[in-house]
Amino acid sequence: MCVSEATSAPFANQLLAALPVEEFQQLIPWLEAVPLQVKQVLYEPNVPIQCVYFPIRGFISLLTVLQQHRIEVAAVGNEGMVGLPIFLNVDRTVGQTVVQVPGDAFRIEVAAFKRAVQPDRRLYQLLQHYTQVRINQMAQIAVCNRLHSIQQRCCRCLLMVQDRMNTDQFPLTQEILAQMLGVRRAGVSEVASTLQQQGLIQYHRGQITILDRSRLQAAACECYALIEQKYVRNRTDRTSGAR
Amino acid sequence: MPNRLLNALPAEDYQRLTFHLQSVTLSLGQMLYQPNEPIEYVYFPDQAIVSLVTVMEDGTTMEVSLVGQEGMVGIPAILGGHTTNTRAIVQVADGAMRLSASILRAEFNRGGALQNLLLRYTQFLLAQVSQTAICNRLHTLEERFARWLLLVQDSIQSDELPLTQELVAQMLGVRRSGVTVAAGTLRRAEIIYYTRGRLTILHRQNLEARACECYRVIRTEYDTLLGNSI
Repeated sequence: MCVSEATSAPFANQLLAALPVEEFQQLIPWLEAVPLQVKQVLYEPNVPIQCVYFPIRGFISLLTVLQQHRIEVAAVGNEGMVGLPIFLNVDRTVGQTVVQVPGDAFRIEVAAFKRAVQPDRRLYQLLQHYTQVRINQMAQIAVCNRLHSIQQRCCRCLLMVQDRMNTDQFPLTQEILAQMLGVRRAGVSEVASTLQQQGLIQYHRGQITILDRSRLQAAACECYALIEQKYVRNRTDRTSGAR
Repeated sequence: MPNRLLNALPAEDYQRLTFHLQSVTLSLGQMLYQPNEPIEYVYFPDQAIVSLVTVMEDGTTMEVSLVGQEGMVGIPAILGGHTTNTRAIVQVADGAMRLSASILRAEFNRGGALQNLLLRYTQFLLAQVSQTAICNRLHTLEERFARWLLLVQDSIQSDELPLTQELVAQMLGVRRSGVTVAAGTLRRAEIIYYTRGRLTILHRQNLEARACECYRVIRTEYDTLLGNSI
């Protein structure tokens, strides 16, 4: 898929789509459209970042790693970007950045990105705002992890994935979901089973289908509404079926 | 200049701010900013300690970042002033330098040393919040409390911490009785001593042994991100 096709598609990256035409035109020569493959590690902890990514489709988790444990602390899809440390004058991430649900993205090398993010540019402002959004998201999730039940958190996670996939059905194994939640797989199985019994989702061979979004929202903790409120999303209310 | 960020500024940059920096004494429990409120002032603590806490719908709060001498309270002011979901609350009442957010922004927009320091400090905040996210999931109340005490002690460089259990409870996201239990365990092990409003660290090494590894991670991250400039 070439750059111009991708940005005229309804699933374009929202940060890039918000740029004035001239600014975006200047970026085009440096943008490379690349696939995002499931379990692809975009950044390892403490390894210098080579490129930043603006997702178009797909779901990326930012994971904090502590010995053998991992937990998702932020989620990124087409509303955002990964590689934010570069904007903050830091050349590496603290945690691991992994593609959890496949898709595609625009990739740009660090040097070109730095040139594009001059303080007088709209991209700079957008990234300032996005940094605040990221802080808010992490601050909410950090507390959610302690206070809310696995079921509430699972509902929140599923909704966050659905928001970034633009479809009601997507591939997400229980293993990956367990990693995102920082729990054992058995814990996820139990919750997934309950949600399926209640008709909120369908879970079959690593594919999740969201059947009843509004009930899923009701079952999620307040963190979902708070986190997603910060994103400007042109989203019509879903019924089943892709948009 | 005790505050490490201010201290790291080149003399010329600091000169521009001197006139606008006000020395203030923060009071215990004072809220420096609230969720969804624009930030009017930023604060560079000297000996004061400020908790950044996320506020839940039912009023429960839990700390996601700690700010002392090594940092600045009010980072949202340089990120476009969009709403934040955290509250900044004073845990240790002491001195700080206060600066109007608009003056800070003007200096930040010059693109010099202050901008670089504050951007890197923002990354440190993100790292702290990320670490807290996993710490909250994996570690016990006692481990979290010990980690927090170490960070506070590092910042104010004293063995005596003027704390109240009520505010510590808000920081840990528990009822006050939870703090009493955690503190009691540390006291019985003669690691800390406390009376009303004052906690003394008796044995730093043993406190480090009780803390989760998140303390080391956060310390190292600060030194990596800002240690060279400071």
